[in-house]
Amino acid sequence: MPVFLFAGDKRRTMTTQEPPTPRTAQQSAADPSTETDDQALVVEGLSKRFGSGEAAVTAVDDVSFSVERGSVVGLLGPNGAGKTTTIKSVLGMVLPDTGSVRVEGIDVYDRPRKAYRHVDAMLEGARNDYWRLTVRENLRYFATISGVDPDSVADRHERLLDQLDLTDKADEAVRSLSRGMKQKVSLASVLATDASVVFLDEPTLGLDVESSLTLRRELRRIVAERDLTVVLSSHDMDVIEDVCDRVIIMNDGRVIADDSVEELLRQPEASRFRVASPDIDERLRERIGERFTVTDTSVTDGATRIEVATDSAGFYDLVDLLRADGVTLESVTTPDPDLEDVFLGLTNGAGDTRDTDGDAR
Amino acid sequence: MSAEPADDHSTAEDPRPATYYHLAKAVLYREYLIFVRYPANAIGGIVISLFFFGLLFYGGRMIAGQALTDSIEGIIVGYFLWTLAVGAYSSISNDIGSEVQWGTLERHIMTPFGFAPVALLKGVAKVVRTFLTSALILAVMLLLTDTALQLPLVTTTVVSALAICSVLGLGFAAGGIAVLYKRISNWLNFLQFGFILLISAPAFDLGWARLLPLALGSSMLQRAMIDGTRLWEFPLLDLVTLVAVAVGYVLAGYAVFEAATRRARRLGVLGDY
Repeated sequence: MPVFLFAGDKRRTMTTQEPPTPRTAQQSAADPSTETDDQALVVEGLSKRFGSGEAAVTAVDDVSFSVERGSVVGLLGPNGAGKTTTIKSVLGMVLPDTGSVRVEGIDVYDRPRKAYRHVDAMLEGARNDYWRLTVRENLRYFATISGVDPDSVADRHERLLDQLDLTDKADEAVRSLSRGMKQKVSLASVLATDASVVFLDEPTLGLDVESSLTLRRELRRIVAERDLTVVLSSHDMDVIEDVCDRVIIMNDGRVIADDSVEELLRQPEASRFRVASPDIDERLRERIGERFTVTDTSVTDGATRIEVATDSAGFYDLVDLLRADGVTLESVTTPDPDLEDVFLGLTNGAGDTRDTDGDAR
Repeated sequence: MSAEPADDHSTAEDPRPATYYHLAKAVLYREYLIFVRYPANAIGGIVISLFFFGLLFYGGRMIAGQALTDSIEGIIVGYFLWTLAVGAYSSISNDIGSEVQWGTLERHIMTPFGFAPVALLKGVAKVVRTFLTSALILAVMLLLTDTALQLPLVTTTVVSALAICSVLGLGFAAGGIAVLYKRISNWLNFLQFGFILLISAPAFDLGWARLLPLALGSSMLQRAMIDGTRLWEFPLLDLVTLVAVAVGYVLAGYAVFEAATRRARRLGVLGDY
């Protein structure tokens, strides 16, 4: 059963369309209290506030999750949801107010040097490497900095260059490469280390479609080859759906959903109903908007089409509302759900995936 | 000696842990590559330094005449140390600022070696690079002024290196402040002009002045290069003080850097620029 974590007054019980095997909180992937050997990353009770007094902003609010070794977990959330602050807190680049983080069983805050042996990160908006060095020199340099003798992973570096289509550019200075290539070098320099847990913040940002597809494909292959654990943050739902085994959705600094893509798509939040009628006027549209999450509205050939994110019970409420207003429905359809629908439903439409992340950090 | 004991996370390739030797090689080699591949900065620095020295020498000779010629040896030694100090200080503080902008500072902080040895090695690399350029400036200054100086290699190297260590400490402190307050590095560069006062401070006459960065090293370097005093001919107290001041400023500068980056991490501004 998917696990939905709602904090404070948002807490409510979710239902699924099919009643699968019940999964208790202790059994959930999101619950770090049952740490096992399979868990590469355990985050417990992470909280971070920036500023003080009335100007204080809670960027991360009691976030807990764990990640099984060898899995790829997506971190999704609208602008300011706390994704980047969470990643930086997990890495120790932001010191949280409360909480603990263990990587491969090692506390990041108590024993950072030992923990950092297992971790590397590609942070959003940063180069992460030296543009005046060549691609190959970057891989060797950052492998060494991360604690690996670069000669012992030379073959891996060659494979990595090949997998990311960088072989021809291996001996060119990074500054001379295109933006997409630079992004790949940044990723390569992270994968060039011997880290078993890798954080990728917007790894496909700035890449064209083809490069993004190549990167996703190779990332999956590399993850499988090396049994890597990846936490990936992206605004691109296609990337998340393609690459991730599991998705953690954040909003207002909290984890509000944590499950596999398949399970999330089965949730009521993924459920959409599209109704069309010429009788729906502006006033009624506003009333619908007040009671439901409207994901799309259009007027075609005199008929208003409204798409709402709701479960079947909510749909009947919608029909009751329309009937009470004397509306005759022209059509009712249920579009196929996708991750973006779930995301928008869970975040009450706050997630605009086309924008860049504006997390407090 | 490896940074951390090897762990059981291994692949078919069985990556070996890097040692401090590998770390030193990587950091120094990177500096070397940047130096030889992009010499424009170094050449520009040398040309500007020589231009200002030329102004100082020829302009001063026109105004002060023989008085300047009589003290030219002291001016050359002081100018040599000043170029060393400015090179080491600005490269360290500016380098930290650049690493913040590039997002590479985080990766250096996330190293299992710990940031301190990485920063120290980077500092050593900067000092070595600055020594090369300053040595060239020194040679041109001597030719230009037709002056001869004593150049006891061991004494000159040890005394000037220890003198520069205190500047490295200031560079770390300035870099830390730049991490916290960002675009302040241009203001911090003004500190370079303060080095002139420190270099000309009469450390042998004023006891407390020996504790200032550069001051004692400058006075000892003058004696070594003008009077030919060898390292073992200096009073033991002066040598101990020189080492203590060097180590003290490096540690204090690093402590400021640590405190500043820790505060930046608490405020969540470590990687922002």
